[in-house]
Amino acid sequence: MTIVIRIHEHGGPDVLQVQDVALADPGPGDVLLRNEAVGLNFFDTYQRTGIYPIDLPAALGTESAGVVEEVGPGVEDLSPGDRVVNASQGSYCEAMVVPAANLTRLPDDVNTSDAAAAMSKAMTVQALVESVYPVAQDEVVVLHAAAGGVGLIACQWLKSLGARIIGTVSSDEKVDLARANGCDIALVVPRDDLVARVMDETDGAGVPVVFDSVGNDSFESSLKSLRCRGTLVSFGQASGLVEPFRPNILAAHGSLYLTRPLLDDFVATPEDKAKCTGRVFAMMASGTVKIHIGQTYPLADIAQAHRDLESRKTIGSTILLP
Amino acid sequence: MTKAIRIHAYGGPEAMSWEDVEVGEPGAGEVLVRHTAVGLNFIDVYMRSGQYPQPAFPAGIGLEGAGVVEAVGAGVDDVAAGDRVAYAGGPPGSYCESRLMPAAQLVTIPEGLDDNQAAAMMLKGMTAEYLLRRTYSVKSGDTILFHAAAGGVGLIACQWAKHLGATVIGTVGTGEKAELAAAHGCDHPIIVCEENFVAKVRDITDGAGVPVVYDSVGKATFNGSLDCLAPLGMMVLFGQSSGAVPTFEIATLGAKGSLFLTRPSLMAYNAKREALLASAAALFEVTAGGQVKIEINQTYALVDVVQAHTDLEARKTTGSTVLLP
Repeated sequence: MTIVIRIHEHGGPDVLQVQDVALADPGPGDVLLRNEAVGLNFFDTYQRTGIYPIDLPAALGTESAGVVEEVGPGVEDLSPGDRVVNASQGSYCEAMVVPAANLTRLPDDVNTSDAAAAMSKAMTVQALVESVYPVAQDEVVVLHAAAGGVGLIACQWLKSLGARIIGTVSSDEKVDLARANGCDIALVVPRDDLVARVMDETDGAGVPVVFDSVGNDSFESSLKSLRCRGTLVSFGQASGLVEPFRPNILAAHGSLYLTRPLLDDFVATPEDKAKCTGRVFAMMASGTVKIHIGQTYPLADIAQAHRDLESRKTIGSTILLP
Repeated sequence: MTKAIRIHAYGGPEAMSWEDVEVGEPGAGEVLVRHTAVGLNFIDVYMRSGQYPQPAFPAGIGLEGAGVVEAVGAGVDDVAAGDRVAYAGGPPGSYCESRLMPAAQLVTIPEGLDDNQAAAMMLKGMTAEYLLRRTYSVKSGDTILFHAAAGGVGLIACQWAKHLGATVIGTVGTGEKAELAAAHGCDHPIIVCEENFVAKVRDITDGAGVPVVYDSVGKATFNGSLDCLAPLGMMVLFGQSSGAVPTFEIATLGAKGSLFLTRPSLMAYNAKREALLASAAALFEVTAGGQVKIEINQTYALVDVVQAHTDLEARKTTGSTVLLP
């Protein structure tokens, strides 16, 4: 038996139900994974509320890390006892049977909690700053939600690329944290005027790229912060979906580019995935990117974890302990 | 005094009238240009009809011209009286015999290029330049989709994309235009009212889709264009001949494969003088080398511009059109 967290309807954190279910034996190509830590992502809240479609009832959670307990027929590259990180729907659980392809073996110098807390976030950051918009040395960039789970990783990664980072955070307490992770200027929004500061820092030109996971609340300031032909990378909507708009707005703000990347499109082939995870492990193992696990919840307290995440109370990454 | 076409209210072609206007002396940074040829562009129709608003009335029309410098104002070093110059963009009002222009927008016409050619190609040619070389940099081996491939920008873009080594898929309205596009380097012309362009593009690319779509049609093609793109592909919306694209949601770009969308303008791309000069130089190079031929398929006296607009809107023109003062 294992605990899983399921939803039977879309809604607030209260729709998250803790249930006991039986575990099947791993079939061909499958692996029985025992989770040691489970990751919490904003993505999970979008599935819960229905912003991202999912068939009901649904088991939530998309990443975890732990130990291989048993392998099914035909699985050759993993053995019982291997430490792995897992990217599978339904990861909010103690144990689960997953296709071997969803697992990546962890190097010795990357710890299990960090991998569970941050693997998909760090892979997202790799795609954002090295592929969606390859950030160059000395470029000034805007990063919204700079003290969030993705934000803190992005600050460190961008810093290592030589960028100058103007970040936004939601409260004064988060300013120091963002700065400690490499954010050069951390503004508390909406109190501080992002656009004015960006123009100050760039001699009125604007920045070449804005990384925006806040969505509706930040959209306007993101457009105004960009220089001519700049790129708005919209990769989330923590404050709600951006209102539908006319593409002509991109011309009015100076021939801008807009993109909405999804990680899956950047790791679609085994080669691309190996390249991305390889970069992430290297950044974590070298300490260039440190994972800040700001809070830990028992898996059964998942509703509280969602509540805190959505009210922007969490800092850095969060793990759930089975 | 000089003669100019002006409008006093938005309207059909007949809203344009041929009037006496005062030009005045060139001020600091300005140049008095006497036109020898004026370019006709679809954007002129939008500015006449009000789809693109004018700052005030009476308003001039026209964004492209070529001619001779008659006088220069203080601080103008790049050009001198007697120089042959051409331009695209700037304050509307090229439909006239003479006018004042900011010197920063003028480029010198190279030897061997006649004024009609220059007037016909600056706006469409530099548009093709920034679209294919800068908005998305077309590489040898790319398969691209270019809508309205037999239009003014389209025929230039087909030739230029071909020169860059791309395979060009183009949409057109009629069989005649399909032949015209094909003659200019379009490998796969698609007649849109006879064939579903999305299915055709998927077919031609073995299901992969294209890395870039250039779309000046707008409302009628926008959603289909997104469906033609490969993951991480670039949607370049640079006009709206069928109407403005209605509101859309960012999530659409994610759902269709982490797409990029841009809505560029020539003005923004060539705002800096270095960018303008580089853009014009690239255009002059491919036209002088014969890789891109500018075909002036109709000329009208400038005073007959009402007829020229009527024909343009009825889609009776092909290639480029020049108005002669």
